[in-house]
Amino acid sequence: MTELRELARRLLSEGTVNAVLGWEEGPRGARPAFVTTPDGADRLIFDPRCVHDLASYLSPRRPHLKKLGKVAVVLKPCDARAVAGLIRETQIPRENVVLVGVRCGGVLADPESTAPLSETTVADRCRGCPDREAKLADHVVGTAGAGFPGPSRRAQKIEELAAMPVDRRWDFWQAELSKCVRCHACRQVCPLCFCERCMADKSLPRWIESSPHARGNIAWHITRAMHLAGRCVDCGECERVCPEGIPLGLITRKIAQVVSDRYDFRPSDDPAVPAPVGTYRMDDPQEFIL
Amino acid sequence: MSTTTFIRTADLKGLVADFNAAGIGVAGPARTSDGAVDYQSITSFDAVVLDAQPRNSLKQFFLPPTEPLFKYARQGQDVAILEVPMSFPPRVLIGARPCDAAAVEVLDRVMNWDYKDEPWFARRDATTIVTFACPGGDRSCFCTAVGLAPDATRGSDLLLAPAGDGYVVEIVTPKGQKLVDAYAKRFATGAGVDATKAYRDTARASVEGHVPARPDVIRAWVETHFEDPFWAEISMRCHGCGGCAASCPTCHCFDIVDEPETLTEGVRRRNWDTCQTSLFTMHASGHNPRHDQCGRCRQRVNHKFAIYPARFNDILCTGCGRCARTCPAGQDVTEILTRIVAMATGQGGAA
Repeated sequence: MTELRELARRLLSEGTVNAVLGWEEGPRGARPAFVTTPDGADRLIFDPRCVHDLASYLSPRRPHLKKLGKVAVVLKPCDARAVAGLIRETQIPRENVVLVGVRCGGVLADPESTAPLSETTVADRCRGCPDREAKLADHVVGTAGAGFPGPSRRAQKIEELAAMPVDRRWDFWQAELSKCVRCHACRQVCPLCFCERCMADKSLPRWIESSPHARGNIAWHITRAMHLAGRCVDCGECERVCPEGIPLGLITRKIAQVVSDRYDFRPSDDPAVPAPVGTYRMDDPQEFIL
Repeated sequence: MSTTTFIRTADLKGLVADFNAAGIGVAGPARTSDGAVDYQSITSFDAVVLDAQPRNSLKQFFLPPTEPLFKYARQGQDVAILEVPMSFPPRVLIGARPCDAAAVEVLDRVMNWDYKDEPWFARRDATTIVTFACPGGDRSCFCTAVGLAPDATRGSDLLLAPAGDGYVVEIVTPKGQKLVDAYAKRFATGAGVDATKAYRDTARASVEGHVPARPDVIRAWVETHFEDPFWAEISMRCHGCGGCAASCPTCHCFDIVDEPETLTEGVRRRNWDTCQTSLFTMHASGHNPRHDQCGRCRQRVNHKFAIYPARFNDILCTGCGRCARTCPAGQDVTEILTRIVAMATGQGGAA
């Protein structure tokens, strides 16, 4: 923690950046922090409650944060994959942001949790995560635990769903998606949902009905899943933020598996790796072309 | 003071069975498949969970996330409007929390302002709210700072508080009296309100002091600090996800859309909306008066603690704390209000 605070203090006092985005102690556990003065660096923390993906704040569709100018952002390895995504898709120039990696051995599911990090309390998405530090980072601080072995419970659930007959799988998703109230919190919090105007917000023509009925909800979630194919970095924010508890990670992870199997692409924190959407290889599977 | 009666827990279970038998819908706080507690339809009082605040509020029972207003059919150059039913079957909400019951009554003001909202009041008329005095809350609860209490009766038809082998029942409204009269055999004489004093005192102590009880100070500061840098500071962490509004018992803004069902027929629906998104204030010209999250965060506080009090002499917040619990970025209304009071009374400023 001292290392992180000292680095943030230096970046701010030397004028390298105008703000450091990290985590602080909030009224209900850890929360995102925006430190704009060298003395404010003492507010910064990093511990297993720092679950939030701060890369979301780099998205160009947040004009109120653009005013900050050049910022440094503290990143777990998974968050660095999101920053790499934003760079890969030309949303932020690499030189406009200072990346501070924190070594990570997994986080808790809930930023309010007071439980020690263990096999039972670790966030499911961290099970099997191979990354301990962000290779993309300009600075790397801290120490990391050994991580937690996979498979995740979610991976098991995906297999279970894949083994179901289609009608039962349909029943499962109908029940889950019927809970959706179309608040679009999943979109708002997603670091890779950066469209200036979302397709779901367009009304002339109305591509996706905005009403939270079965038709509108399924259209929304299928569209969102497709738009995140080969892009979702598994930061888990959409599922964490859903006020109705819909297991959105099952959708994004299933799609990620398909992209991995068919196009040999896994989101990494190397922005130079080309995105599967927008890349054509002679050996791409194309049996779907009639 | 309202009159009281008593109901034993066994009779409460029987009462829910009676409602089922009479074809009266029952909803209450119960576990969901993902382990949370939501207000939802139930068929037995055994499903009711009273020791956790439900994740959702009661507003969905009066203002559903989506509802049809009417259907339309194009016939040549004309459009025929087809009414949808505006009467609703009777329902009892059992195990409501006082903050959630009060919210419905707070919303009656705006729903009967320049226009009487037909579906809202039709559902209100069809619904009886049986509230259970709150056992106490967590650090985000602040009902006593907005003029309510864990045992407030506002918005409830009956208020139950535990005593001995059952509950002391305060009859708050004629509708509550009607329910007690209709099922008189389920109610008995028993302990009086005095027997619930320790329970009520414990609950009150758990929610007090989280926000200074100074709504007038908050309103005056908000009304005079539209451009204060405080708003820019707190809005930085906001994702604009609207989780606060979705979970809020008093956020009631809606959007109205026409959705075609066939080439010539369609439905006009209204759906929940939130001031936390850009689209909410987007003009057809492309101009957006609330062009960033700073204005949207301010709007939420402004509407609840200044605009609604000015218009209806009522606060559009019941201190339930859900917005603080649900926020993925740790935005906390208790912190915002406490800081506003501190700034207004000269004890602090924007960080």
